[in-house]
Amino acid sequence: MRAALRRTGRRRKQAAIGCAYIAPSFILMTVFNVFPIFMAMYFSFTKYNMVSAPEWIGLENYQKLFTNKVLSDALINTVRYTLMTVPVQTVLALIIAAFIAESLKNRYGSFLRSVIFIPVIVSLIASATVWNIMYEPKGGLINQALNLMGFPSVKFLSSKATVLASVAAVSVWKNTGYYMVIYYAGIMGISVEIQEAAIVDGASPLQRFFHITLPILRPITYMIITLSIISSFQVFDLVYKMTGGGPGRATYTVAYMIYAYAFQDKRIGYACALAIFLLVIILLIHFLQSAFFNDREVKA
Amino acid sequence: MSGIRKRLTFGKVLGTLLVTLFALMCVTPLIYMVAVSFTDSESLYIQLSDLRPGFDNYEYAIVKRNFGRALINSIITVTGSCLLVDIVSAMAAYGFEKKPVPGKEGLFQGYLATMMIPGQVVLIPMFVMINHVHLTNTYAALILPMAGAFGIFLMRQFMVQVPDELLEAAEIDGCGEVRRFVTIVLPLVQPALITLTIFTFNAAWNNFLWPLIINTRSDMHVLPVTMATLSSNSTTNYGMVMAGATLTFLFPFTLYVFLQRQFVEGIALGGVKG
Repeated sequence: MRAALRRTGRRRKQAAIGCAYIAPSFILMTVFNVFPIFMAMYFSFTKYNMVSAPEWIGLENYQKLFTNKVLSDALINTVRYTLMTVPVQTVLALIIAAFIAESLKNRYGSFLRSVIFIPVIVSLIASATVWNIMYEPKGGLINQALNLMGFPSVKFLSSKATVLASVAAVSVWKNTGYYMVIYYAGIMGISVEIQEAAIVDGASPLQRFFHITLPILRPITYMIITLSIISSFQVFDLVYKMTGGGPGRATYTVAYMIYAYAFQDKRIGYACALAIFLLVIILLIHFLQSAFFNDREVKA
Repeated sequence: MSGIRKRLTFGKVLGTLLVTLFALMCVTPLIYMVAVSFTDSESLYIQLSDLRPGFDNYEYAIVKRNFGRALINSIITVTGSCLLVDIVSAMAAYGFEKKPVPGKEGLFQGYLATMMIPGQVVLIPMFVMINHVHLTNTYAALILPMAGAFGIFLMRQFMVQVPDELLEAAEIDGCGEVRRFVTIVLPLVQPALITLTIFTFNAAWNNFLWPLIINTRSDMHVLPVTMATLSSNSTTNYGMVMAGATLTFLFPFTLYVFLQRQFVEGIALGGVKG
């Protein structure tokens, strides 16, 4: 009896100590991650400019949001940007990882992996600054190369036709190495026996890629696609530094719009409604992904 | 048979060439960046003869264009962020994994759920809050929000491997709670701490939007913010701008060269499991 009491006493004490260990994270998470979400929801129903107190206006911000031509432009740009970046960087990352894992299992292969990863560690603002100069119509490296081959210069960032793709290209340049590393680790995790059995059965490298590697990597592919769609939906730094949303509204994206409304126009309430709208889209992507993924898992 | 082998070799050579070409495309802008930082020409049509071996552009950027101050601010912010995230995450992971706290799994799931929230949603309320408590233009405003669920998630995966028997044995030997955590648990999860430090270093070093809006005074700017304001208010002094970009790139790059394995393993780990 006394032993049992001592055990519950000890357990209580351990629980209290555990709480002490968790407390700092709990405070920081509550203050900087959870509480702000509720504040954003509240602000989204108000008119607020950071000077006078927030004024409750119900659903007005949301009503304005859905009739806002700027938002539909920004949404279209964001979706187009996502379609330009995600498929290209995912496929490139997969092909490069698979090729190096299959045919370059040597020091040169690991050297190439190291080099392709380098853009990942360049900050987005430094990347944007460097690429601004790469894209310069007069003397930028790309136009110098085009001129050398006899083509006229292209105004990459000041023409509406090319600007979004030019920004997307920087994202592909920066992110491919990141996803390549994830794919490479996934391919290295595939058991040697499976591959060898396929080789014995006379499967060509391409057959092995499509019938073994690709299906086994499916969970990683889903994860990479989800992660990269979400990060493309939040593109900000590149747009801020390279185009400022222009020319016209050609690169105006949802994340840039939130910034502009909140911190340039000081329309905090309206910007919060927009941010909540973005949150809903991103949660939707998460749920679609997990539903789709679970569905596939059951069939497999 | 030999036909097949030939085609395979041809494919291998072609593939190697293409991947090499892609790797070249990855580093060309960075080589260009460094090259331009060593020229003093106003034009971008640089030739090898334009390269100057001096550090004039760097000196100008550091002394006249606030890069010196921004560098110090970035180093303080990054150091503070890494310490904070490492300590808070290791403590929380230990509490979650090794202590019988009631309701901890629910709380942990709640933590994980916050990873789905896009930064833009919490940004505006955080701005209002930090303004309200007059913490704008401080290091605390940059450092405190860096703690998040990811670090706790990562640390917990390693905390599982710390054997309970070891902790119990130490307790019986009279080793106190805090000493057990510091001298037994932390050394055992050291690889995870290194991975988390690299992650936090990169996140804090490259953080842009939050420092841009919260620390508006130029003596509290960090490198990416100085970088962003630089070229918008200067004439096309390409050499100086690229010197700034090179400075910004130099620190993460040095870290990458020395801790490459940890960099790559950390990402693969976070990716494959996450």
